[in-house]
Amino acid sequence: MSFLGYIRPDGSVGTRNHVLVIPQGIIAKSVCDFVAGTKTILTADHGSGRTANDREQIARVLIGLGRSPNVASVIVHAASPGAGYPELRAERLVDEIAASGKRVEILDPAKDGGTYGAILKGIQLARRMVHEASRSRREKVEDEHLCLGVKCGYSDTTSGIAGNPAVGYLYDKVVAAGGTALFGETTEIIGAEQALIRRAARPEVAEAILRTVTVQEDRAKATGLDIRTVNPVPSNIKGGISSLEEKSLGAIHKAGTAPIQGVLKYAERPTRKGLYFVDNWMGHLSIFAGYAAAGANVVLFQLGGGGVAGRTLLEGSPSVVVPFLWATANPRTYAAATDSIDFYSGTVIEGSETPEEAGERLYRTVIDVASGTLSLSETLYYTEPIDLYLQEPRF
Amino acid sequence: MHPNDNVATAVEEIRAGEEVSVPVAGGALTLRATEMIPFGFKLALQDIPPGAIIRKYGETIGRASTAIAKGNLVHIHNLEGTRARGDLERRGGQ
Repeated sequence: MSFLGYIRPDGSVGTRNHVLVIPQGIIAKSVCDFVAGTKTILTADHGSGRTANDREQIARVLIGLGRSPNVASVIVHAASPGAGYPELRAERLVDEIAASGKRVEILDPAKDGGTYGAILKGIQLARRMVHEASRSRREKVEDEHLCLGVKCGYSDTTSGIAGNPAVGYLYDKVVAAGGTALFGETTEIIGAEQALIRRAARPEVAEAILRTVTVQEDRAKATGLDIRTVNPVPSNIKGGISSLEEKSLGAIHKAGTAPIQGVLKYAERPTRKGLYFVDNWMGHLSIFAGYAAAGANVVLFQLGGGGVAGRTLLEGSPSVVVPFLWATANPRTYAAATDSIDFYSGTVIEGSETPEEAGERLYRTVIDVASGTLSLSETLYYTEPIDLYLQEPRF
Repeated sequence: MHPNDNVATAVEEIRAGEEVSVPVAGGALTLRATEMIPFGFKLALQDIPPGAIIRKYGETIGRASTAIAKGNLVHIHNLEGTRARGDLERRGGQ
């Protein structure tokens, strides 16, 4: 199968065609408020007072979003409080994004007439860049150019028996077609690592999975807390999940059955195609920005039901430049928030569809959105701030 | 479900005293629920002594924190996870 996408100079294929202005701050926000077709990231962390590892993590997010196939061209400004650090210098961000072959412009208040001058120049540049981007046309490309990212949340029994299996079918289909698929949430593979390492493509991948789990489990133990007071989260327990291990074993169903090609850091780009595990954290305001920076061009949130009563509007757009889909197999969740949910697979529990039929319908939904149909969350202006996944203390 | 599992998940609510049939390899296991099992919650398929491993998906999901009788609801009141337990670590191992 195939979809309609924007072919970029580095050969990657976009499902959207945005002009990105980074890092966050008044310059980026002002340019984006003024010019249609632009996106910026909204997050509190700019790197100041952060360790070198965490600054590099922030740089990986910014460079990754700039290189995203969903971005036609990029404006980088040099006014971020973190820009004095070598990892986050504007010139470094520009160089690494421009290596993908796309147009990158820089705004420097010190040379461009201060903050007001930089905003003015940015607006003028952004208007031309958006207009130039609009000349691109979607072309028919094969599914090998899909790169998916997923998380499951508010998980309950419907997630394990009908929600995650539909996503697993989608993942298997896209990987079999030569595409790329990312899954993660390290805490939620504690207890399921033996099931995952049996699927490692190479021995070093199995070792990397075990190492990642051990580091995370040691961190949890170091808190001295009973993990059951943290995770499974209250909505999971309400839904019938009794332990972290049980949650993990249900959660891995969303990754399908393909061999695992490697373990990636948050926002790290896979070097090859196939299924990858990402060492990230479950928070949806964190995980999707990481997938977007890793090159994902469609992302999905598979939603259960516990604790979402009364939520009739599901906010979205935590993936910055990547279309974001809500999926659920819980009939009550779907009935409450039908206007927000792109895909429903409760049909599997109701007996009107097999898991394969539901998975096939999810695949067609993804192809449709990849080709330009808006995901429901894309019809909202509201954007949640991004919570970058940083692990080290601040000083 | 996996043949080694000693619990099964209710795909619809089971009433207290209701007889249920659980598909197992080569047939079905019939047992009576001793209490109400809500949709999505687990039912013990056999007597599980305190400390014994509880298996679902053919994998360990925890151990019995108390004696569990066949047909009982299995949840956080009688099943405890053993992974990532900082509280056990603090008390000097598991």
